Amino acid sequence: MRHHPADDLLLAYATGTCDEAIGLVIATHLAFCAVCRQSVSLMEEIGGSLLEDLPPAPLAQTAFADTMARLENATPYARPVRTPSRDGTPEPLRSYLGGDLSAVRWRRMGPRLAYLPLFRRGGTRVKLLRGAPGTEVGGHSHRGMEFTLVLKGGFTDATGNYGPGDLQVADSSLSHSPVADAGEDCINLAVTTASLKFENFIQKIAGPLFGF
Amino acid sequence: MCLLRPKSPADQMIHRGSRPVEPAMLAHVATAAIPAFRPVLRRRPLRFKAMIGQPGPAELNALLAQVAATRDRAAFAALFAHFAPRIKSYLMRQGARPAQAEDLAQEAMLNLWRKAHLFDASKASAGTWLFTIARNLRIDALRREKRPELDAADFAPEPEPDPGDSMAMAKSEQRLRGALKILPPDQMRIVELSFFADKPHSQIAAELDIPLGTVKSRLRLAMSRLRAALGEMP
Repeated sequence: MRHHPADDLLLAYATGTCDEAIGLVIATHLAFCAVCRQSVSLMEEIGGSLLEDLPPAPLAQTAFADTMARLENATPYARPVRTPSRDGTPEPLRSYLGGDLSAVRWRRMGPRLAYLPLFRRGGTRVKLLRGAPGTEVGGHSHRGMEFTLVLKGGFTDATGNYGPGDLQVADSSLSHSPVADAGEDCINLAVTTASLKFENFIQKIAGPLFGF
Repeated sequence: MCLLRPKSPADQMIHRGSRPVEPAMLAHVATAAIPAFRPVLRRRPLRFKAMIGQPGPAELNALLAQVAATRDRAAFAALFAHFAPRIKSYLMRQGARPAQAEDLAQEAMLNLWRKAHLFDASKASAGTWLFTIARNLRIDALRREKRPELDAADFAPEPEPDPGDSMAMAKSEQRLRGALKILPPDQMRIVELSFFADKPHSQIAAELDIPLGTVKSRLRLAMSRLRAALGEMP
């Protein structure tokens, strides 16, 4: 793996400042990357240390008694039981897909491209994209941010080559034409905070129809 | 969003170094809530000491283990006195109203009670564990979103816990605290605002009137110092 999230993104996940869409991208990278998992653990330790050093805020007189009353009916927490993934699709991605990556019901977008919208928050859209080997997505620039995390296969553009677990963060300064690598289909988790600006006339018209 | 947000970012700086203790606050928790447990506390002087002083990491771990093993209410009371006021403080800095922060702090302690058996002292300190609980409750309550969480079961099977690991954890926590204390103030400021301001880094940059690149590079520098202090590779 060559392309990791920068510290500010990992910290946004560790502090809980980032939104759910970015959180899903970072968490999915973490599922691939033990080094970044360790970084996030360190950041959480920093959070614990800062919490311990905070000046305590006075509680209501009844706070403890109220909590004890709430404990009366509390049952020990049980971890959710999950059926094991058959193709190694990690959490939390698997919950968002509703199952394994290999069982996704793709929506076709021409002969070589497929996609699956996952969720949308305001202008931010989260989707899966799948391109056959050698597929060119088409030159585009960005009105907002685009986060692309490779789940399978890989793609290449002017900024380099991206394989499973690699994250590309593109902003309005980047204009690129990603091409899926040879060998197997390239499957990405993609988050865009605004629509893309395609250079090609057909894609300019078709893009918004598919939510790009 | 935040009615009680301190007026200047400088007000959001947290106390560093020695922990400020507010005896009045601890005293009312103690007088309001502890009498029922006093006989138990008398038999166990260690815990009574924990109530009036600041319990250290080893004591907090021991108290959590007691809650997990026997649903020990006196141990829970000591953990409550230590953590609930700090969690409330954390949530108020994050923009929660006092009543909401209080309710979420209670909720966090309820989580501690229900999840104590999942706490693993070889993986995190009690403070870190409570931080993650409070953080997740905040995302849930204040933003009405859920936090995408990893499942530890997806990774290589965990080795059997080694009692030495929690010692190693306590040592690394000490080293981290030491390293945080000697972090250059401009880097520490960005780290604190990252945890407490609940704002994206672009907004922190705008409020401090420095370029976003400077915020990111200070963060990167801070993280590499802290990683080095813990002997981790960047």
